[in-house]
Amino acid sequence: MNYEFDEILDTIKMTEIEHFDIRTVTLGISLRDCADRNLEVSKQKVYDKIIKYGKNHVKFAEEVEARYGISIANKRISITPISIPFDGLNRYEFIEMAKTLDKAAEDVGVDYLAGFSALVQKGFTRGERELLEAIPFALAETKRICSSVNVGSTKAGINMDAILKVADLIKKTAELTKDQDSIGCAKFVVFTNVPEDNPFVAGAFHGVTEPEVVLNVGISGPGVVLDAIKAAGKVDLQTISEVIKKTIFKITRAGELIGREVAQKHGVPFGIVDVSLAPTPAEGDSIGDILKAMGVEDVGAHGTTAALAMLNDAVKKAGLMASSSVGGLSGAFIPVSEDQGMIDAVRRGNLSIEKLEAMTAVCSVGLDMIAVPGDTPASTLAGIIADESAIGLINDKTTAVRVIPAYGKKVGDVVDYGGLLGLAPVMSVREISSANFVNRGGRIPAPTRSLTN
Amino acid sequence: MKISEEELRKITLTAINELGDKASPELVRNIVSSAVDKLGAEAELPQAETSAAPVLDRAILTSFGLNRPGVIAKITALLAESGCDLRDVSQKIMDDFYTLIMIVDLSSSKYQMKELIEKLSKIEAELNVKIFLQHENLFRQMHRI
Repeated sequence: MNYEFDEILDTIKMTEIEHFDIRTVTLGISLRDCADRNLEVSKQKVYDKIIKYGKNHVKFAEEVEARYGISIANKRISITPISIPFDGLNRYEFIEMAKTLDKAAEDVGVDYLAGFSALVQKGFTRGERELLEAIPFALAETKRICSSVNVGSTKAGINMDAILKVADLIKKTAELTKDQDSIGCAKFVVFTNVPEDNPFVAGAFHGVTEPEVVLNVGISGPGVVLDAIKAAGKVDLQTISEVIKKTIFKITRAGELIGREVAQKHGVPFGIVDVSLAPTPAEGDSIGDILKAMGVEDVGAHGTTAALAMLNDAVKKAGLMASSSVGGLSGAFIPVSEDQGMIDAVRRGNLSIEKLEAMTAVCSVGLDMIAVPGDTPASTLAGIIADESAIGLINDKTTAVRVIPAYGKKVGDVVDYGGLLGLAPVMSVREISSANFVNRGGRIPAPTRSLTN
Repeated sequence: MKISEEELRKITLTAINELGDKASPELVRNIVSSAVDKLGAEAELPQAETSAAPVLDRAILTSFGLNRPGVIAKITALLAESGCDLRDVSQKIMDDFYTLIMIVDLSSSKYQMKELIEKLSKIEAELNVKIFLQHENLFRQMHRI
């Protein structure tokens, strides 16, 4: 036989027991040719283009799923940041456009369409200001639209005016969606150094340097890594790193195979594989559990940041060896609400927002799916975003904030979305004020790249 | 005498150069064909759209569960009915449990993979065992560099 007995069982174990799945196949579609002076024509062009390229997306993904016996959890679509082709629209027209996108997503059969976004790290255009006003209403009035705003980059610095606007936007969104635990905020991400080929929602969009259409794939598999670390037993850290790398290598190879095959069915170029450990609320599918298996008593213990740094680095190294098309965010995600290990740590009082912030300096994204009290002032949210942006700015990495100021809730309450978004205990934030700092506005200049102590 | 693809390309290029403006795909093809015939070559001219290697369409079937008479018979009967070719079988029995791995060539199967999986899942439910059918490429990709 060409394969060892153990190799075959290894694959079966990963796909059937350890929740190894392809987290998302995301079809990126450029909308840059859809602008027209007539809004109705623009909307029709957008709808037609998404249907044209996306109509078989779910079907193709399901065919590949059946062929390999690997589940593809989500089929999604990303689009050009909407402010780029439609900079001429006003806020009401942007809301109309969001509804058109939502309808297209529904008709194609995808659960999320992302890219209702703007890149404003250095300043706003007129259209981008209008878009930011429209985002809370767009998120409240649609089901499938996800939005993001990039407020900083290592090359441009941090746009504090944008952070202030975004903080207000988040508060407004929380209020508009208060009947559903402020769910609108779960569909909005603030980025620094945003990657242009990230397939993971809510922060996905189809970058302006991308081709007309492209297929990106995001793999996952915390359960596989967790079991491998447990099986390794009491060994030193280099050995743990090896175990993680070997496991990730295999799942990256599988992920690339699936992505290429779906792309081939579409007849579109394959873009990247994003090798990210993305947790789900399912038992055993948790980054928190991996950190505990590495040895810390609970997430938040001293040493957690070091463990996460090693995990994140090993994931990246293995991914880069396994595929020449690694991109996106690639690393370990630490969303609180989507990870049972993290939720438990917050409930036990072991994990605070400050420790999470430290962890984001070494994870692949940032403060993700964190619920804070509904009466948190916008200036404090701006402070949280500014801190996170600064970590990304100085370390030349992507950071993001997806924070939910849960309307009407206080510390100790929970927001419960069910499904993939999970459940978030409301965490406490500092009550001392950041207002005078953030309200200065302007821009934090781009950092120096030498003297990096 | 065998002519390599590289040599074939050289002959073709020479022919095109000599023909200059008169070169058309059919003309070049005829000239190269006759040149190859003269050389007594066994090489066949590559057709415009042939792929180099035949596409392997093999899947790995894995099954395990409580051993009982007729498990393998049921599975192989289905594979035989669909016209699949069994390329390799390996089996282990430990106490009351069995593990079965088969490499199945699907290229002559009358059922699509999806239909086969549906039929196998009926056997799964009937005998209370686990059966997985996954395309071979997955295993090659994960375990071979």
